[in-house]
Amino acid sequence: MSIKNNIQPLVELFDVRKCFGQTVALGGVNLSVARGEVVCVIGPSGCGKSTMLRTINWLEVPDSGEVVLEGQPIGIRIGQNGKVSPQASKDLNKTRSRMGMVFQQFNLWPHLSVLDNITRAQKIVLQIRKEDAEKTAHRFLRQVGLSDKTHALPDQLSGGQQQRVAIARALAMDPILMLMDEPTSALDPELVGDVLSVLQQLAEDGMTMIIVTHELGFAAKFADRILFMDKGLIVEEGPPQQLLQNPETDRLKLFLKQLGTMNLKFS
Amino acid sequence: MDLDFRIILDWWPLILSGFKLTLVIVTGAILLGIPLGGLLAFGRQSKFKIISILATAFIEIFRNTPFMIQVFLLFYVLPFYGIRIPANIVGIIGLALFGSVYYAEIIRAGIDAIPRGQLESARSIGMSHWQSMTNIVLPQTMRIILPPIGNQTLSLVKESSILSTITVQELTMSALIVQGQTFRPFEIFIVITLLYWGLNELIATGLRIYERRLERRSLSDLASA
Amino acid sequence: MKFNFSYTIDALPRLLEGALITIEIAVIGFILSLTIGTLITVFRTVSQSKLLNAILAVYISFIRGTPMLIQIFLVYYALPAIDFLPGPGELRVDMGPVTAGIVAITLNSVAFVTEILRGGLAAIHKGQYEAARALGLRNYPLWRKVVLPQLFMKTIPPLVSEFTQVLKATPLLAMITVVEMMRVSQQIFSANYHPVEVLSGAFVLYFLICFAVSRSSIGLERRFAVRRF
Repeated sequence: MSIKNNIQPLVELFDVRKCFGQTVALGGVNLSVARGEVVCVIGPSGCGKSTMLRTINWLEVPDSGEVVLEGQPIGIRIGQNGKVSPQASKDLNKTRSRMGMVFQQFNLWPHLSVLDNITRAQKIVLQIRKEDAEKTAHRFLRQVGLSDKTHALPDQLSGGQQQRVAIARALAMDPILMLMDEPTSALDPELVGDVLSVLQQLAEDGMTMIIVTHELGFAAKFADRILFMDKGLIVEEGPPQQLLQNPETDRLKLFLKQLGTMNLKFS
Repeated sequence: MDLDFRIILDWWPLILSGFKLTLVIVTGAILLGIPLGGLLAFGRQSKFKIISILATAFIEIFRNTPFMIQVFLLFYVLPFYGIRIPANIVGIIGLALFGSVYYAEIIRAGIDAIPRGQLESARSIGMSHWQSMTNIVLPQTMRIILPPIGNQTLSLVKESSILSTITVQELTMSALIVQGQTFRPFEIFIVITLLYWGLNELIATGLRIYERRLERRSLSDLASA
Repeated sequence: MKFNFSYTIDALPRLLEGALITIEIAVIGFILSLTIGTLITVFRTVSQSKLLNAILAVYISFIRGTPMLIQIFLVYYALPAIDFLPGPGELRVDMGPVTAGIVAITLNSVAFVTEILRGGLAAIHKGQYEAARALGLRNYPLWRKVVLPQLFMKTIPPLVSEFTQVLKATPLLAMITVVEMMRVSQQIFSANYHPVEVLSGAFVLYFLICFAVSRSSIGLERRFAVRRF
């Protein structure tokens, strides 16, 4: 486990609320994540965990509440007279480039090769030169173990390989935070392990990560903290051993029982 | 019944020039109509209510009126406001306006065909809306919409014959002139019909070859995976 | 020059008469083509004749591959020029412009209607035929009670769309002297030299007619809807 720097939290959510029509997706979420922390978010379908993750990079716009990155609010701008208005897109884009996001469906760009997928954003968002961008790409491809697929097209890769390319693509932007929305849920079981090893490596290297996942085994071993969400709220949170072995709330107990938490190894 | 196809030979230069003008006009209409269709497609989705209403109104008006009256109105309206342009140009503009509303729908469908997730991953990595469109969405859209655009082209070729009613000397007008001069409708209309039909089949075949090549390419990707 | 609305108003009565002719021609043509198209569709499905399908394929390719205006000219100018009886004696087709117009529209629309019906037929589950046959229903009742009602209900939107196409083709008949709305407009403005005002009136009328027709598609579907289960 990495040593955490607790001076200023990296990401904070203050009473974030979001409704989709009549449904309450987030009912007032408060969260604070420190630099270097690995936070896993678990919970039943529809509990709001994906929505919460997506408000962090403003893919979902909260109805109320604040999302703060390194002390600066995301998505909104507070004018001199205290008036709140939407953030200028240029600033929002810049903030987003500092956060890496990995999706359940990988979302690679099918018309571009693996190399282009990883270098395109570097070139047009970060204005990095082609040669440097490619060097970075090769480095991360090596890290995720896919150097031999540099010039392949996404539809020539397995799901696990595509996800690893997606991770490399996000890492190539040198993010301060990685957001992962069920990174292994769409994979066949035998491919899950490859992706988890990459995530493990990232965690050990000190990357701040917020991962929405069903992989309790991974969470038990590598999370600093686990959040259990239900019906739009964080119901329980704490270190893995505490949460998974001694759940306090009935809802968490029920959830764990349904998943079956035998044979979990803790770090 | 006596047929005399020699008159076709006599009048061939006129027929050929009409055919060429048809091609020029249709090409011009495509080049003008597709960007216009793109503007309409984006206009319809615009956040500004007034733009989206105007775009929708434009599309509904042009879809629910005959092409012939559109070009007639255009033909007479322009001099009305003091703009004098040759009939051929009026024809290209009229055909482009007519085609643009169909192009708008094709382009919209092409954009919607791109899974939303790709746009999300582009935005979340820091690309602006414009960058996401030009780097991720539109390149894929272009490839998808080529067959329906091709189909629309066939439609434009046929509608172009209506331009003969506003004195444009395209292929149909050539037929009318030859008929008027020779009093022999049969030979000339058969030949003109075959020319239109042949052109249509040519474009349709070209499209089929393109579509088949697209299929083959994606199949070979699967094979080498 | 300023737009003088009074010319539009003055032209309105005659334009409306022309509109009536437009609608009459379109309706007659469409009903004919729907009838013929249905008969062809039933016949080709029942007989499974390869020859018939081949002929239809060529016919449809021809209709879809050539301009409507040319088709109209072929019927009006070229068809009467054919003498069907070689040698002494003549057998020619003699048609006035309105007849020629309706014939051209029908011949054109039939191709599209047959294609629409063919597509709709393919979407009806084959099991329907087999079930009906097993119950003892032979051809005529089979078609009338089972297949055709479903077919028409399914194909209302494309058929309404085709009717709109027919409406939009009627102004072309002005070129063979049929006095529908377009021709009427021409007659009016060649007399009063105000084409823009007159054509605008006709333009709006065409729009209203076509718009009303395409909107009716939803209403028609509801009226003829078979209860879903």
